[in-house]
Formats: sequence, structure tokens, C-alpha cells
Amino acid sequence: MTGPHRLRLLSSSDPVAPTSPAEPSTSATRSVLVHAARGGDVRAFAALVDAYYARCLRFALHMLSSRSDAEEAVQDTFVRVYRALPKYEEREAFEPWLFRILANRCRSAGARERRHAELVEYGDVPERQSASGHDDAIAWREEIGNALAALPDEQREAFLMRHVEDLSYEDMSAATGAGVSALKMRVKRACDALRVRLTEVDRD
Amino acid sequence: MTDDRDAMIDRIARTLRPLPPVDDSAKARVLVAVAAERERAREEVRRGRRGGRPRWIAGAGVAAAVMVGAFLLREPRATGVAAPLAVTSAPASAQLAGHDAASDADDVRESVQLVFRAPTASSVRVVGDFNEWDKERAPMTRDAASGLWSVTLSLRPGRHVYAFVVDDTLWTRDPRATAAPDADFGRPGSVLLVGRP
Repeated sequence: MTGPHRLRLLSSSDPVAPTSPAEPSTSATRSVLVHAARGGDVRAFAALVDAYYARCLRFALHMLSSRSDAEEAVQDTFVRVYRALPKYEEREAFEPWLFRILANRCRSAGARERRHAELVEYGDVPERQSASGHDDAIAWREEIGNALAALPDEQREAFLMRHVEDLSYEDMSAATGAGVSALKMRVKRACDALRVRLTEVDRD
Repeated sequence: MTDDRDAMIDRIARTLRPLPPVDDSAKARVLVAVAAERERAREEVRRGRRGGRPRWIAGAGVAAAVMVGAFLLREPRATGVAAPLAVTSAPASAQLAGHDAASDADDVRESVQLVFRAPTASSVRVVGDFNEWDKERAPMTRDAASGLWSVTLSLRPGRHVYAFVVDDTLWTRDPRATAAPDADFGRPGSVLLVGRP
């Protein structure tokens, strides 16, 4: 293998773009990609998937218990994004719009997970609790995972958007439909709960 | 209300921020699902235009067989071939392609992934001038969740003619690609242009 591979989405019936989009590393480039994808350019859409997949998966992994559920949620999110792109208003920021679809999808999956959890029989161990680690860092991550899982969905979602995804409260409001004051309250309550629980762990 | 940050919250956030490892095949599955969605939307449009139900390809237990897209993974060392469509990095493309690029060190080839939708089929194979129309040489793999079949071929740049063989009996061309007037064996075929011939 001599260098990085390039992936392109080919369809015999799609028009060929005169130029290739650059690596979608800047928000300006991403805006161009969103515009092109909205116009039906499948290669631009593939670039958006490439650019946002890992972030979406991170959020979904923190919202849901299993990797397979998270990957399914992310896949479904991008399908919904593709389907909704014609209705997307470009004056609206893309990231909050994307996270709105992703968060909705995670909420639906989370509700299914809870219904499933009620049916878990003795002997079935949920993935989140099954990991074991002797290393302090692993144990710390596990504790954070458990503490996050114990939060109400709205608080977990708000905490992750603010402190992990670095969305502004205005973008969070666009993503969730909740007001800025309500979101600040959710983040505060999430922080309070995490602080109490994890400070106890730190003392042990 | 403040942002409620302190050392503990910063420590939690630092632990949660690293991006997870991403399996490139998961990204590829996303694109396949999107391609299937695009095909579904196009079929709805076609159905609307005809004012009736779609006329599916029939035979050998196949309810639907619709080409939904193809991914083309390109080796950059194929410098003699223009890459106007390359847009995203796929560091693990060889894994996705199931193809050892090093084995073609003296040959310019491109990995082309063909995707075909046939949810009820038991087998789908690709035949073409690149494999002497031998259906044993390019079996496709089924994705259980989507009902999509895929295979990755290592092809020389240029014009190729190919078709799909469903359940060993139904020979169908790719309905999304240009029909080949010169398909071998007098059967229907489609044209695939790899790189710039």
C-alpha cells in the first residue's frame, strides 16, 4: 500500500462534478459540501459522512449502551439527513441540524433499550456493566459511563452536547428545541449529579 | 447561571472527548444505506410517473433486483488515471475492498465495489469480460440488514461489460448503467467505465 486510499461514490447515472471537494476540515468547506449534497451531489454527501461519522458515533455511544445500537443510530441518522436535505434551510447551521436528527434517533433507540432491559433475564449482562478493568483509567471511564447512564436522557444529552461536542447553547437550542435557560438548567443538574457520584468514586 | 465547569467536569469531559475508533466498513454501510434510500425515492418517482406498481425483474424467487450504487475505491498510485470524483479518505479501504493492493504492484487497477439489491435472492454473482463471464469467480456477499449484495472487483481502467446472475439462473443487466449493445453470449449486460479509458 503506497498511500492513503481515496473513496468515491460512483453511480453511472450521476453527473460528474468538475472538481473534487477538498478534505472537509473547515466549516467553510463543510458548508460547500452541504450545499453540494443538497443539490444532489452524492460524492459531497459521502464526504460529509466521512467528516461527521466519528463525532456522531461518539455522541451515540455515550447516549446508548451498545456499539451496535450506536452504529445503527448513526447510520439511520445519515439516511434521514439525506432524505431531509432538500428541506434543509442553508441559513440554519448544519451541525445543530445534524445533532437534532441524531439526538432524536438516540432517544428512540434509548426508549427501545429500556423496554428491552426490562426483559433482560437473569444471566444476561448488559454490555455497559460487563466491561471490567484493573487499570485506573479503565475503571474511571467505566464509572463515568455508569454515572452518565444514570442521568435522565435530557440531562445526559445536554451535558454531552455542551461539554463533549462543544455546541453553544444557541446551537443546542436549535438541536433540541428547548430554550437556552432550560438547557443551562439541564447541564447544571447533570454536572451536579456527575460531580457527586464521581467525587465519591474518587475518594474510594 | 454559569457553565458549571470545574476541575471535575473538565476531567469528565476530557475522558469522554476522544473520538471512537471507526470501522471503515461501518461508513461504507452508511453509504450503501443512503444509496438504497436514493433508489427507493427514485422508484417512488418512477412509480408515480407510471401511476402503477413498479415492474420488478421477475424470476427465480427474486422479488426485486435493483442496482443501487457502486463505490469505487481508488489507489492513488494509479497515476495514469484521473480521479475527478475522489472526495473522502478511506484509510482502511483495502479492508473494505477485501483486496490486497500490494499484489497488483505491477498493474494499474482500481477496486470497484458493486452493490445490488435483491432481498430475497439466495445468491448473486457478477459476471463480465473481466472474469471471462465465469459466475464462480465473483460471488457477492449479502448484508442481512439491508438485503444488499456487494462485491469488490479489482479492475483495469477502461470499459467493461458486466451483468448480475441471481440465484444461478436469472441473468440481468444493471438497470442503472448504460445497456451494453455488445454483451457477451447474447445476454443483457451493462457498461462500466473504470477510470478514464
